[in-house]
Amino acid sequence: MSEQQQRDYGIIVEGVSRDFGPVRALDKVSLHVPRGEIYGLLGPNGSGKSTLIRILCGLLVPTEGQAFVDGLDVAKEGEEVRRRIGYVPQKFSLYEDLTVLENLNFFASVYGLKNAQLKERREWAIGLTSIGPYRQRLAAQLSGGWKQRLALAASLMHRPRVLFLDEPTAGIDPVARRELWNLLFTLAGEGVTLLVSTHYMDEAERCGRVAYLYLSRMLVEGDPADLTKLPEITPAGTRRVEADCEEGAAAVMSQARSLPYVEDVTIFGNALHLLVKAEVADDRIARDLEEASHAKVTIRPIEASLEDVFVRLTRLQIEQRGEIPAAAEATR
Amino acid sequence: MRGFLPVLKKEAMQMIRDRGTLQFALFVPAIQLVLFGVIDTNVKHVRTVVFDQSRTQESRQLLNDFVNTSYFDIVGYAPSDAALKEAIVAGHASTGVEIPPDYARRRLNGEPADVLVLIDGSDSTISSAALAAANGVAFARSATELAERAGAKDLPIRTHPLLLFNPDSRSANLLIPGLVAVLLTFSGTLLAAFAIVRERERGTLEQLMVTPASPVAVVLGKLLPYLALAFMQLLFVLFLMTVVFRVPIHGSLPLLLGLSAIYLFALLSMGLLVSSHARTQMEAIQLSQMLLLPSIMLSGYIFPLSSLPAALRVVSQVLPATHFIAIARGVIIRGASFGDLWQSVAALLVIAAVLVAGSTRAFHKTIT
Repeated sequence: MSEQQQRDYGIIVEGVSRDFGPVRALDKVSLHVPRGEIYGLLGPNGSGKSTLIRILCGLLVPTEGQAFVDGLDVAKEGEEVRRRIGYVPQKFSLYEDLTVLENLNFFASVYGLKNAQLKERREWAIGLTSIGPYRQRLAAQLSGGWKQRLALAASLMHRPRVLFLDEPTAGIDPVARRELWNLLFTLAGEGVTLLVSTHYMDEAERCGRVAYLYLSRMLVEGDPADLTKLPEITPAGTRRVEADCEEGAAAVMSQARSLPYVEDVTIFGNALHLLVKAEVADDRIARDLEEASHAKVTIRPIEASLEDVFVRLTRLQIEQRGEIPAAAEATR
Repeated sequence: MRGFLPVLKKEAMQMIRDRGTLQFALFVPAIQLVLFGVIDTNVKHVRTVVFDQSRTQESRQLLNDFVNTSYFDIVGYAPSDAALKEAIVAGHASTGVEIPPDYARRRLNGEPADVLVLIDGSDSTISSAALAAANGVAFARSATELAERAGAKDLPIRTHPLLLFNPDSRSANLLIPGLVAVLLTFSGTLLAAFAIVRERERGTLEQLMVTPASPVAVVLGKLLPYLALAFMQLLFVLFLMTVVFRVPIHGSLPLLLGLSAIYLFALLSMGLLVSSHARTQMEAIQLSQMLLLPSIMLSGYIFPLSSLPAALRVVSQVLPATHFIAIARGVIIRGASFGDLWQSVAALLVIAAVLVAGSTRAFHKTIT
């Protein structure tokens, strides 16, 4: 990769692996994040998301492969990389016995900000995250959403070029979640590259690109809209339909699954999402399901969702490897 | 050294805000000082039971000699051999003196007279003091009598023992300088370990490590306030020692403080070493105790170094507390100068250097 290309990308990961003793936590992962893009990292717990983020922050050294952040090799230019990045970990990691203002002053001065500049950047971060009213409050007394904003503010004052957020919205209410994402979009608009790990599909759909990690490997990567059109998601000879059930979908779930032409069933509120053989007509599906539920069922064709993509890929992976992890077994 | 001053300022702020740490640092030493200040380990007035079968002027004179040493207090008279033993077994007395019926007759005839002294061997401090005192009584009386028979006015040799530095042989003078070392071991090691493990436990250390702050700056910035706290504690303990317990410092105070600084560096490094191997504050406490216990038992604070078997004596030489106790006792009690103490100082310096190097390496490993 040329230097010019390295500069165009905020983050470049090339064949990065990391072993912890005999355990491989990350297996030859590669991805490229253009500047100013929000990149989503998805995958079950323990799939390697945090390990990747920690490698990119310089907290862990990769066992093999290379990673560049803002054009700099993380393994070789760690200190310079740390000046240019911000990191918001999964768990709140500021000082709970210090106030909001004290925390911000501390982190600003660690980044070498002083006097007027410190004040200006601090006030900018406070304004951006709207945390102003809580200036004098101890961090321990903030709610989850405000803690996350404080952590974000603390990681922004030195104007990082690349921002890493490890499940920033876990355990936060929907309104705070929405506001945090609006903030992330504002930052991306200013040219900051963002790598965000998440479990929420709606958040994944907002990302410019997403990667799906499973058991230390990257199964797929790309634009969320393109991923839903992947051939293996809706294999040749099958199609996806939504069955809207008037009497509730839960009651007919098991009957739907036992129909010979149904490959997969997922429940969505009062509707079922079915993967069915392409040659079976909507009328027949409606009839079979109405028989089972004794109520009216409406069928309409749908596209695969991002969740379908990940569920499908995980199943394929399990079949391929011929092993069913205990956790996956339980959710089937 | 990027980040040193901000970390230092933040740590000082947290330390002052955390009442537990300050109380631990000042209250605990005060209590221990009071306890050790009033304890007297000198053996005097050992409870003594007597079985006097002679009941003569001579036997009473001998018993008076025992009492006059002030080592023995006669607390009772036993009617028989068995009763005498029983008094010791039951713990009513620690020594028993049995004078045979022919004691006075043999003395008057100039024949050797026997006196049985039973000593409770279950407490070595008491038994050795009683043994020495009892022998002393017999020797003194025998010598005086032999001299009289020989017509000599004086005994051929007279000793003039002079107890230097601690004329009243107060145990406080001996214990408190050692206590200073032990107290600093507690607070220096444990508080330093806590300061770092707490950040690790809460994840804030990781947050610091993604900033451009250098790990060395973080460690120094975090430990320096605790060095200051330990120093304050030292001054506080020395103040209590000299003013309240009237143990004077015979040597130079600046010398003592300067050497204490080396000791504190060694302790904080030990704390850092503990923090590198402990994930939680609970683990830090357990690990510290593994280091603190030998510092109390094997440093010469409680047992004299000469009483340790060879293997343990090696361990004691590796402990910084051993050398600091030697220094503290030297300066405080004997008024020793730097030249007198250079061996202990050199040992302490070597140990401190090894600990500082080892602990920073261990810390580096844990963060990468």
